[in-house]
Amino acid sequence: MTLSALLVSIVFASASLAWGYFRSGFGLYAIWILIFGAVWLLAVWRKWNWYSSIALLIYIVVAALGLWFEFNSSWMFAGGMLALFAWDVSDLRRRLYWSAKDDDTRELKRHHLIRISLLALFSFMLAFITLSLRVQFTFEWVAVFVIIALLGLGQLVRWLRR
Amino acid sequence: MSRSIFLSAFIYGLLLAGIVSLRGEFIALAIPFLLYLLYGFWSAPESFNLHVERSLSNDRITPESELVVTVTITNQGADIEELALEDVISPNLTIRLGSTRHLLRLPKGSSHTFAYTVTGPRGSYVFDSIYARATDTFGLIRREQTLRSDERLLIFPEFRKLKHISIRPRRTRLYAGSIPARVSGAGIEFFGVREYQFGDSPRTINWRVSARHDENLYSNEYQQERVADVGIVLDARASVNMFHADHSIFEHKVSAAAALSDAFLSQGNRVGLFVYSGFLGWTLPGYGKIQRERIMQTLARAQVGVSSVFAGLEHLSPRMFPPESQIVLVSSLLNADLNVLIQLRGRGYQVMIISPDPVKFELGLLPPSKEVEMAARVVRVERDLLILRLERAGIHVIEWNVDIPLDQAVGPLLMRQKRVL
Repeated sequence: MTLSALLVSIVFASASLAWGYFRSGFGLYAIWILIFGAVWLLAVWRKWNWYSSIALLIYIVVAALGLWFEFNSSWMFAGGMLALFAWDVSDLRRRLYWSAKDDDTRELKRHHLIRISLLALFSFMLAFITLSLRVQFTFEWVAVFVIIALLGLGQLVRWLRR
Repeated sequence: MSRSIFLSAFIYGLLLAGIVSLRGEFIALAIPFLLYLLYGFWSAPESFNLHVERSLSNDRITPESELVVTVTITNQGADIEELALEDVISPNLTIRLGSTRHLLRLPKGSSHTFAYTVTGPRGSYVFDSIYARATDTFGLIRREQTLRSDERLLIFPEFRKLKHISIRPRRTRLYAGSIPARVSGAGIEFFGVREYQFGDSPRTINWRVSARHDENLYSNEYQQERVADVGIVLDARASVNMFHADHSIFEHKVSAAAALSDAFLSQGNRVGLFVYSGFLGWTLPGYGKIQRERIMQTLARAQVGVSSVFAGLEHLSPRMFPPESQIVLVSSLLNADLNVLIQLRGRGYQVMIISPDPVKFELGLLPPSKEVEMAARVVRVERDLLILRLERAGIHVIEWNVDIPLDQAVGPLLMRQKRVL
C-alpha cells in the first residue's frame, strides 16, 4: 500500500513539475526534473532513505523557481505538495522497518495515508483560496509576517539549543 | 537533522522569499508544509506514561533450550499515534521466533502484548530495559523513554551426568557416604582382620584365619564409608583457555566442572567451587540440591579472565580447602603450575586433575603443515613430561580429548580407583 502510494506520488510530482516547465518552453529543465524523479525512484528501490530529503529540497526549489518565473502555479503547487507526500510516505516506510511481522501495520498505514491525503487536499484548497484572494500587500501585512517570522525564528533557535 | 527542523527551515525560506519578493505564491506554497508541521505538533505525544510487565517462561535454561519472553505494555497516559518498542536484550542471545521490535498505535488505557523466543550460550543475562519511542502521526516530534523491568536469565552449562567418581581423600567427614574413610567400622569393603571381640557378629568371623590359630577367633574388619570435602577448581585463566583465532576450550572445562560437581554432590559429598580467573570466585562448600544450584549459577557466570596477578596458580591457597581434602582441578595445565600442585600434594591434599588436551584442541584449529606437526610434537613431549612429573608426585592426572564427551572419554577412568599414597 505505502509503496504504491510512494511511487505514484513521486511519478506525479515529477510529471507535474516537468509538465509545468515544458508548457512554459523549458523542455531541457523538464528533462532534468524527470531525471531527478527517476533517481528518486531508484533511491526507493535501493533503500537510500537519505535521498528523500534532498529530493524534497530540489522539488521545492524547482516549484519556487517555477512560481518566480510565473509558470502555471497549479502544476507547481501539485508538484511541491506531492513531493511533500512522497517525503512523508518515504519516512513512514523507514519507520515501518521497526515493525514485526505480526504487528498490525495495515491499520497504521491506512490511518497515516488517510490523514496525509486529507491534509494534502485541504492545504491544496487553502493554497488556491490564498492565491485567489488578491489583497494589497501593504506595510501592515509585511509587519505581521515579519513578527510571525521572528517569533518562529526564536522558536527554531530554542529547539536547536535543546 | 530532525524532520521538524528541516521542514521549519523550508517554511521560513518560503515565507521570507514571499516577504522579500512581495509575491503571495511563495507564501501559498508554504501553506501545505505549515499545515503538515502544525498537525504534527498538534498530534505530538505528551510525556507518555507506559507500564511494562515482562515475564520469562523459565529463569534457568540450558544452551539448546528455548525461552519465551512475554512483554505487556499498558498505556496509562494519553493516546500514542505511533509507538516503537524494542526489548533490549544481550547480543549473545539469538531470537528464534518473534521479534523484540514492534511498531503500533496505542490508544489511552489500552495494552499490547508481544512474545518472542530466544536461545543462547551459557551465561547470565539481564533483561532490564525496554526502549520506547512515541511519535506523532507524521513522525515529526519524538519522545523517547527507557522502561525498566528487571528480569534475570541463567543459562546453565550443559553436561552429561557421570555415574560415579572414585576418590580417596585422607580425611573424610563424619557422615556416612560412599568414600572409603581409612577407618574400620560398618562398611562393605574389606579393611583388615583382628582378634574376635565380644559383641562381634558371628558373620564377621574369618573362619579361614581362625582355623590357623588354636586359641583365638578372628573377625574381619570393614572400612567405613563416609562423605568427603571436595574442592573443584576451574582454571579460567586466559593463558590456558584461549587458542588460535580466539577459540576457547573454556566451555569444555565448564561442562566438566558442572558434571564433576553434580556427581560429587549426588554422592553426598560437601563440594565447593573455585573459579580461578582474573579474580578468585569462591562458592563456599555445601551439600545437596541448594549447593548444586549455587555452583551452577557460578558456572553460568564464569568467564575467562586475564590478570597478571593470577597468571600462575600461586594464589591457590591451601587455606581455602579443608585440610587433607580432595581437590579436583579442571585445567589444561602450564609448566609453571607444577610446583604449586606438588606443594598442594605435599600438604596432604589428594589432587586429581581433569586436563582437557590443549594440543589436540589447537591442532584441530590450525591448518595442517609440517611446521605445525613439528610444533605439536614438541608441545606434546613437554606436556607428557609435565604429566609424568605430576603423577610421580602422586597427583592423579586424567587427560581428556574434548572431541569425545567427558562421560565417555574419562568416565571409566574416574570410576576406577587409583591407589595413591
